[in-house]
Amino acid sequence: MAATEVLPMEHATPRLKINRIGLWLFFLSETMLFAGVLTTRFSLLGTEVHEEVSQTIGLVITAILLASSYTAFRAEHAAHHGDQAEMVKYLSLTLLLGFVFVAGVAYEWIEAFDAFPPSTEFGTVFFTMTGIHAFHVLTGLIFLGLLWNNARRGRYADNAWPVEAGVKYWHFVDVVWVFFYPALYLI
Amino acid sequence: MTIVRGAIGGVAGYILGAALLMSIRAAAGSRAWEVESVTAGAWLFALTGWLLGVGVWRYWARPWFGKKEQVYTTTGWRRYFDFDTDHKVIGIQYLVSFLALFFMAGLFAMVMRYELMGVGEDVLDADQYNSLMSLHGTMMVFVAVAATVGAFGNYVVPIMIGADDMAYPKLNALSFWLVPPVLVALTASFFSGGYDTGWTGYAPLSVQSDVGGLFFNLAFFTLGLSSIVGALNIIVTVVTMRAQGMTWFRLPIFVWSIFITSILSLIFTQFIGLAMLMVVLDRTAGTIFFDPASGGEPLLYQHVFWFYSHPAVYIMILPAFGITLEIVSHFTRKPLFAYKWAVGGLLGIMGMSSVVWAHHMFTSGMAEALRKPFLASTEMISIPTGFIFLSALGTLWMGKIRYTVPMLFALGVLFNFLIGGITGVFLADVPVDIQLQDTYFVVAHFHYVILGGGIFGLFAAIYYWFPKMTGRMMNDRLGKLHFWWMMIGFNATFLPMFSLGLQGMNRRIADYTPDLADANRAVSMGGFFLGTSFVVFLYNFLKSWARGPVAPSNPWGARTLEWQIPSPPPHENFEVPPVVLADPYGYGEPDSIHADLGVTQSESIEEGVEA
Amino acid sequence: MGEEDRNNSSKRLLVVGLIWLVATVLAVIAVAAIQWHPFAASREAEITDDAFDLLLLFAAPVFTFVLVVGGYTLVRDRDRGTGADGAPIRTNRLFIGTWVVITTALSVLIVITPGFTGLDELRAEPEPDLIIDVRAERWNWAYTYAESGVETQGTLMLPIDRRILFRISSTDVIHSFWIPAFRIKKDAVPGQITTTMVTAEVLGSFDNQDEMRVQCAELCGVGHARMFTGVTVVEQAEFDAWLAAAGG
Ligand code: HEA
Ligand code: HEA
Ligand code: CUA
Ligand SMILES: [Cu+2]
Repeated sequence: MAATEVLPMEHATPRLKINRIGLWLFFLSETMLFAGVLTTRFSLLGTEVHEEVSQTIGLVITAILLASSYTAFRAEHAAHHGDQAEMVKYLSLTLLLGFVFVAGVAYEWIEAFDAFPPSTEFGTVFFTMTGIHAFHVLTGLIFLGLLWNNARRGRYADNAWPVEAGVKYWHFVDVVWVFFYPALYLI
Repeated sequence: MTIVRGAIGGVAGYILGAALLMSIRAAAGSRAWEVESVTAGAWLFALTGWLLGVGVWRYWARPWFGKKEQVYTTTGWRRYFDFDTDHKVIGIQYLVSFLALFFMAGLFAMVMRYELMGVGEDVLDADQYNSLMSLHGTMMVFVAVAATVGAFGNYVVPIMIGADDMAYPKLNALSFWLVPPVLVALTASFFSGGYDTGWTGYAPLSVQSDVGGLFFNLAFFTLGLSSIVGALNIIVTVVTMRAQGMTWFRLPIFVWSIFITSILSLIFTQFIGLAMLMVVLDRTAGTIFFDPASGGEPLLYQHVFWFYSHPAVYIMILPAFGITLEIVSHFTRKPLFAYKWAVGGLLGIMGMSSVVWAHHMFTSGMAEALRKPFLASTEMISIPTGFIFLSALGTLWMGKIRYTVPMLFALGVLFNFLIGGITGVFLADVPVDIQLQDTYFVVAHFHYVILGGGIFGLFAAIYYWFPKMTGRMMNDRLGKLHFWWMMIGFNATFLPMFSLGLQGMNRRIADYTPDLADANRAVSMGGFFLGTSFVVFLYNFLKSWARGPVAPSNPWGARTLEWQIPSPPPHENFEVPPVVLADPYGYGEPDSIHADLGVTQSESIEEGVEA
Repeated sequence: MGEEDRNNSSKRLLVVGLIWLVATVLAVIAVAAIQWHPFAASREAEITDDAFDLLLLFAAPVFTFVLVVGGYTLVRDRDRGTGADGAPIRTNRLFIGTWVVITTALSVLIVITPGFTGLDELRAEPEPDLIIDVRAERWNWAYTYAESGVETQGTLMLPIDRRILFRISSTDVIHSFWIPAFRIKKDAVPGQITTTMVTAEVLGSFDNQDEMRVQCAELCGVGHARMFTGVTVVEQAEFDAWLAAAGG
């Protein structure tokens, strides 16, 4: 019999690595959804964009979302360095920016309802794309909110993974918007 | 209790979601209550409530709120009704749920065949027939997509790779507990008038169908969520939890098949979610994806649907291929022939499955220029599929074949799938498909591959792993009786359907031209014969589970890891983490040892072989 | 592998090869003897039926190969209670190589013929002599003869030996325009006009041939099964007379 010199099973692959792989696979799966939505958009509309979409709102909310990615990054950075106060601060900022983004989308929706309602071609695409994306932003906000709440109580002092996961997800949702924004406002 | 708590959570979630949506609707100036719009939106809330109720809150989410996690404490049979995170419990939960769904859908088929015995509409009117047919197809597709992966992907894959559980045990429980809502949606659909669109739910018909159609969309959507979550878990498990020494090319072929199936699920299931979502939006939110009058495109639905549903047919068949090769090797007492080619075949099928979807649309009115490329890619998929047969034939050749019940079913898979696969090649040929599309030739083709391949594979797996899962043996004679009964019944039912299709009988009709009456009566007779074969199975299955003779740890003398531990396996699977030394197929090679399980367990290996 | 084994295995191969040959010949004869196709009445039907027959011919050796090799070993290599293991053959370059080359070649061949060649034949002769607009609605077919503007419902009247172009549309959901005797089928998609062509080559009608019907071949609701009308093919002169009488 060969010598049995083994590590306990849990340590065959470190837990953190397992979690990271899972998260990236989840992104891969979600990417397919967003790719499908984008393809649908071009299939229905070609490269047409409705002239009544508000370029100002589009630009502003995009800038806000990108800024929130930066603050989220700072929060994660702080988490990895065990800087609780920084982390809480930047999580709050991210949450704030996230809410402003959602408010921007909501405002845009109210406007859009008259300009191009869902029963028009562009409306169908516009409401579906912003809706699916906003749904992801909202779930992201829920997670960031939980993180913020727990971070305030110092619960991530010795385990930064939840923060890392929440922030990575937030980045992912932002990257999706980087593709959606031109498809909805520019092309 | 779990289920009651879940139900309360689900109802509460529905009410909350409905209240929210109704107030938004009222604020926007539309009628507050409209069953479809409200239900579609509230479904997500109901799902969340259900999941929190069954255990996500108690066992999982509490730490998010700074509370201590409550691990499950139930024991005995109650575990199977609980949010249990043991992969072995979850495997059995999947198996039993989907077997029940299978029998239900089979009973629907019996009613359909009864209706189709004669010309005219006898017991069902056209509408009832369409609903029953649609439900039969949908439920069977759910069984084929989820039963084998859910039951055996969960139960045996972690053991086969030498792990103590899945990578994410709680996520695993979550993926199972998404199944009951699927069953609820199907039941709701049945009782709200069903839907008359077939399992493919083509728009714009599906946009116009009754409320039952909405529940079909929600059911498919929810099953999709469950598949994605489950697939992710299996992929991570196989990538990260393999025992020391378990290299990629030492993996049992069944693990490969489940792994590749899971990759397909993870990537493509999103598209069925998207297809269902677009239909739901068209139905409830006034969007116009599929309404040509306002610029929508009906064919868009078909592209998105088949972009998932073609890969899905490989999700249905790859696990059966894995089981077949696994069983053929162990019961010919020979190494799996051309192992790497078999793996390559599975990978090749995976790679090609995303580029053939439009072979379902040759007559759909899509651009004619697309026909040739899809014809070519579809025919090419025969090549990697052939490698499975190459491996199986090579393994059988000069073996010492043992005709056990699992082996019989595995051979059944090979025979039936050969017919199904070759007739698929006929359908991929556009000139032929123009005539045969939407006829019983297609119905025969897919019953040969899904039922003859996938479901025969499922039964092979049940007979093979039953002793491991329950600790009891199934009756061999009854098993053999079931096999021959089912095999003959199956071929008697579906072989004549090829000819019916060639003679011009189209699908999805409750009534047909009189010249087809004789053949249809014969098919129905075959169908009833086939249906009754499952009585033998059920009797054997239930009786053996309750009172069968106690199974030794390795009744088949097989070499993969799950047979080296007691039946049923202890909670942690292995006392000591196993060390893998070679692939599990070293039959006839005197020095070959698959794995070292530490002292205590290697004793039980020897016991098992003798038993 | 000892000398004896090797002889043994080449003998096996010879036997299997012979059985396979015989089985293939028998299968081909059987395939040729069976009447696979229903009543055929168009140029397109010949192309389609020929393609099917050719595929049967290709399928026969593949089918018999798997059955004969599998069947032979299943009978010969049963374990007779010895409990022994089989020979540890993990690979065989010749067998694998041959398999890969032949299945690949066969697949490519099938793509070319009857695949591409059949499609090209179907698409040849694109100039129509007669254009008919087909409108599908739940659960009816309506036909407009484009030149004369005559609109009819019920039986579809067609002249023999003329190239006919159908322009198909739908007013509600998806239907499919299928004439089994002609082996043509094309979906009627709302918001889109799809086309298909046919040359009828045999006189006949629904009264004596069930396949002479326009059958809806895409599930379209309750009336789907009953959404069919007869097809009648007549001589050109008779067709002209009918068209004139119908108001052309
Ligand atoms: C388990 C599920 C499963 C599997 C594995 C397959 C496998 C295949 N299917 Fe099938 N198919 C379905 C399930 C499946 N199908 C379903 C459910 C439908 C109907 C959907 C609906 O409309 O409701 C359908 C419909 C369907 C159509 C559309 C018919 C129509 O509606 O007009 C087509 C057309 O191309 C097709 C082709 C094929 C081909 C070429 C394969 C190939 O993968 C088969 C390859 C296998 C072999 C060829 C045999 C083994 C190979 C060898 C021994 C090597 C040597 C062989 C050669 C060189 C030829 N299938
Ligand atoms: C896994 C896939 C699967 C399986 C196993 C089956 C099994 C069967 N199918 Fe089905 N079928 C489909 C998938 C499947 N089918 C799909 C996808 C469609 C297309 C739908 C569409 O067009 O949209 C279809 C369509 C379909 C049609 C065409 C309908 C039409 O187009 O109008 C027919 C017609 O005969 C048919 C028949 C049968 C029969 C007789 C069985 C038999 O094998 C059933 C055997 C019987 C049983 C399994 C019942 C046994 C039960 C008992 C013995 C009692 C036990 C009792 C309790 C537990 C209470 N099926
Ligand atoms: Cu019209 Cu079916
Ligand atoms: Cu397909």
